[in-house]
Formats: sequence, structure tokens, C-alpha cells
Amino acid sequence: MFSLNKYRKKSPWILHYNAGSCNGCDIEILACLSPKYDLERFGVINTGNPKQSDIFLVTGPVTFRSRERLIELYTQMPEPKVVVAVGSCTCTGGVFRDMYNVEDGIDIYIPVDVYIPGCAASPELIIDGVVQALDILEKKTKEMEIPFKLFKEATTKKGITSRRESALKIGENDEKN
Amino acid sequence: MIEMLLIFLAPIIGGFVYGFERIVRARMQNRQGPPLLQPFYDMLKLIDKQAFIVNPYHSILGIMHFFTLWVVVAFIILGQNLLYVIFLHLLSTIFLILAGFSVKSIYSHIGSNRELLAMIAYEPILIMLAVAFFMINGSFDISAIRENPSSIFPLILLFLAFLMVIPIKLKKSPFDATEAHQEIVGGVEVEFSGVFFEFLYMAKWLEYFFVYSLLVLFAGNNLIFAIVLALFTFLVVNLVDNATARIKMNHLIKIVVTIGLTLGMLNLIGLAYV
Repeated sequence: MFSLNKYRKKSPWILHYNAGSCNGCDIEILACLSPKYDLERFGVINTGNPKQSDIFLVTGPVTFRSRERLIELYTQMPEPKVVVAVGSCTCTGGVFRDMYNVEDGIDIYIPVDVYIPGCAASPELIIDGVVQALDILEKKTKEMEIPFKLFKEATTKKGITSRRESALKIGENDEKN
Repeated sequence: MIEMLLIFLAPIIGGFVYGFERIVRARMQNRQGPPLLQPFYDMLKLIDKQAFIVNPYHSILGIMHFFTLWVVVAFIILGQNLLYVIFLHLLSTIFLILAGFSVKSIYSHIGSNRELLAMIAYEPILIMLAVAFFMINGSFDISAIRENPSSIFPLILLFLAFLMVIPIKLKKSPFDATEAHQEIVGGVEVEFSGVFFEFLYMAKWLEYFFVYSLLVLFAGNNLIFAIVLALFTFLVVNLVDNATARIKMNHLIKIVVTIGLTLGMLNLIGLAYV
């Protein structure tokens, strides 16, 4: 059967969301699209519209206020899609880890495919991460992945508050209500 | 036979123009740019994407916008009435505006409003263009316009006015407030996804075909001049697109209505009395 999967690799459209980042990683993402690195030669467009994009680039350590928008944007993106966490904050929380208003990385809420470390992640690393994400995108199916949502109380271990273990799946909360 | 072939290949030719334009724009910015077939890769990818239907009318109006534009392009290729072409093109834009108003998204509504306002600005110029062609050729038929010699010198002011319409129709700076990708996320196309967005994407290619085929009417029966004119306009439009920033919607209307309408009226008065 004639397969369209290979064309996913050739036109990845990017949605970029700043979940409380310091703008360091955002500027590096814009640098990727600039003449020096020119991501557009791979067909990348920075769309800004979740309904038409394939790659979800998230920067920042998900602040308490931005978590609902994060999940909203994730669920508005049509399948198949990949999520790329750009920067140390987005992967683990970085220097903001275990702060009272920060949720320690996006993988508490949504499934992440590629983690790009660095503070700020350099344009070469971002391009490398996006290319790896494209390999994953090619293999993905059109089935819905289940995003996580946080509704439980945070747990405290040895005086340090962590919400990592208390993540809820999206259906779990609906059963409770 | 060749006309039928052209009609069926019109979206594909428009796609090549769009792909070439993306390369030209990238080279102007000292970038390498995407491959020539990039629009077709995008299209094949969009077929495979999951499609969200906000409401059935929204999706159907998007598809109707595409097919009406295709009919417009077919009429131009077949050499039908120019007035008919312009009003049918108006209808296709109306379908897009209705699609924008049929969803609850505020960006979609703003996009539709701006599309309506832009239409008020550029539509009189297109109609004056048809009237001017009638005054010179004695017929509204595009086939008659194509048989007569080039009419760019008597219509030079209307040609300048038409140069202002091209960026509005092709959503280019400085007149791209209707789409405004950074502020209103693409305007009317914000709620389209998957296959349904593809129709809008291909309608954009047909818009290229429509605008440039209206442009070559200025060249009349001179084929070489038509090619030169199209290439020249293509480069000028892209140069202006790269060199200017987006202007506000009210400025767009003021500029296009005052300068464009004045140029068009002067040209018509000149044709009637000089």
C-alpha cells in the first residue's frame, strides 16, 4: 500500500509554547529559523496554530499558571504529533526545581518524545533534537496518546515538595467526579 | 484540449509558483530555502493528519471556497467574461468569510472582518479594471482582450493600482493584516485542520494562478511581454514583501482606497475624455 508516512518527515510544522521560560531557549529557537541555521530548508514552518502543527516545542519549567494552557495546546494538536522539551528547565525543572510555583518539567503532564538539555539549549542541539523527533514522528500512529493532568496534592519527602509522583492520568480524574 | 489540461493542472502550477516563491524569498534573506516541491510535501502530509471538524458547515464552506476559485481560474483559461470572473471570485471570498464567521473562535471572526474590509478596499479596483478593459477592447470577454495588442500604456495607472491589490490577495507584506500570522494566527484559517486545511492551502495556490493570469491580461496578445511582466511583478511583490513590515488594517484601507481608487478613476476619466 502506498504510504504517506515519509512525507511527515519532509514538512514538520512547529508550534512553540513558552511555559514560563526565561526566554533564553525561545531566542535560540528563533535563531534556528534565522539565516545562519535556516531550519526552513527542511520544510519547517513556525505556525503558531496548534491545529495545523506536528511538532510541539516547549520551553520553560511549566509554571503553575501555564499548565492548563500546556495541556489545552497539546490536546488541540491533531495526531500524529511529537513533543520536544527544549532546555534543562523543561526536562527536569532545572534551577527552578521544587520551587513552590513550578511543576518540574513538562513530562508530568504530557508524554515527551525528545529531551534537549542545555541552559540555554544551543541551536545545533535543537536542530539535532528536531531531526530525532522527525524519526519518531514517522513511526507514530494516528491513535491518541493520553496526556497527564495534575489534580492530587503534592507530596513532601524530607522537607522537599515534589509533584512528580502525584501526576494523574486524564481519565482518572473524570472517574472521581 | 490544452485548455482542459491547464484547468486540471492549475492548482499544481500554482503550487510550483508558491514553492518557487518560497525559494526566492529565502534567497533574498540570504537563506537556502525549502525545496521546490515543498508545497506538495505539505499537502501529502496534511492528507495523513487527523482532521478536527468544528462544525460541518465550516468545513464544507472551506471546500466550496476552493472549488469556486477553481471555477474562476477555469473561466479565465477558457476566456469567459471578465466581469463574471471578478464577481465569481468575490463569491469564493464570501464563502471563506462565512466559514470564518461559522465558528466561535475570536481569531476567526477578526480574520473574517478583516477579509471583508480588505474586500471593500480592493474590489472597486478590480471592477474598474474590467470597465477599463471594456473601454479599450469593446468587450468584457477575456478571449477578446487576449487577441488585442498590449494595453499597458493606456492602463498604466490602473496597473499601478492593481500592483497594490496583489499583496492583499496573496497575503503579503505590507498588506497582510487579513492573515497576520503573529497577531491573529492566520485569521480565517485558524480552525481548519488536516484535510480541510489542505483545501485552503490549495486555494492559496489557485489565488496565485488567478492573480497572475489577471496580470498578464495587461500584456494582451504579446506572449513574451506577458512573461516579462509576470516575472517583473513577481520579483517586485516579493522584494516589497521582504522589505516592509505589516501595516494596520485601517491604514491598509486608507492607502488602498485613497491611492488605488484615485489612480483607477483618473485612468477611467482619461480613457473616456482624452
